[in-house]
Amino acid sequence: MTRVLDADAHDTGTVDTAPTRADQGYDTIFSYRELARLDEALTMSSRETGLRFTLYIGDLGPTTRIRAEELHARGGDPLDSVLLAVSPGQRVIEVVTGASAARRLPDRACALAVLSMTNSFASGDLVGGIVNGLRQLSDQAGHPHRTHGH
Amino acid sequence: MTVVETLLVFVVAPLAVYLLLWALTYLPGGRKRQGLRYKPGQPWEHEPVWYEPQPENAPTHAAGEGDTQAVGSSLYGEPAAIGSSDGHGPSSGGSHGATAVSAGAPAPAAAGPLGGARGTW
Repeated sequence: MTRVLDADAHDTGTVDTAPTRADQGYDTIFSYRELARLDEALTMSSRETGLRFTLYIGDLGPTTRIRAEELHARGGDPLDSVLLAVSPGQRVIEVVTGASAARRLPDRACALAVLSMTNSFASGDLVGGIVNGLRQLSDQAGHPHRTHGH
Repeated sequence: MTVVETLLVFVVAPLAVYLLLWALTYLPGGRKRQGLRYKPGQPWEHEPVWYEPQPENAPTHAAGEGDTQAVGSSLYGEPAAIGSSDGHGPSSGGSHGATAVSAGAPAPAAAGPLGGARGTW
């Protein structure tokens, strides 16, 4: 396994070269296969529904709901975005839906998805729970054109 | 067939097969490829990470607009924060790896009521 060297980082990236920099050594929380599953779940559910699903995994501080709503507001397109904020250390998941996303994803549907996710999390399956939760949420939200009725 | 041959065929060979399967199953190293295993209740000592979906036309163009084409293609963070063309320039604060949240960024006000749910496990 390669490890990140304990050297002082000196940032040699410029504005132009920074996006292609690959020497940063990402925190290997997930394996590549798990990353691919997460990526596919996020991308496909976002494309199917027209909403913007994002996933935050990390500490949420003492006031988890407020922190999650801050993060939701900071991400792009807050009206149409849905944030899944998972804090495995605190054993908390917060789902935040924007104002127009909440019309298609009522709180009750979010609670149901959260319930299934926490079931998986409790058995130690982070990625599986997230993928299934995203599937439930996107099924509930449906296709954007279908909301007008036909 | 001598006694030695009999023993080899009927005792040693099956034992070898069993031992091989046992080794493949239980010896350490097999699980390491599957990444970190989360167990509920253990502390979470990783950098916060924020994944976002790929944009619609992602795979065709290179990372020209601040999108990262990195590992999962969905690592939201440092490349987008540094290379974004919204005039911030290189905000080379304490941005590690895939963190999206810089502490100094002002949080814009939320537009409209937010919904959602909360769960613990």
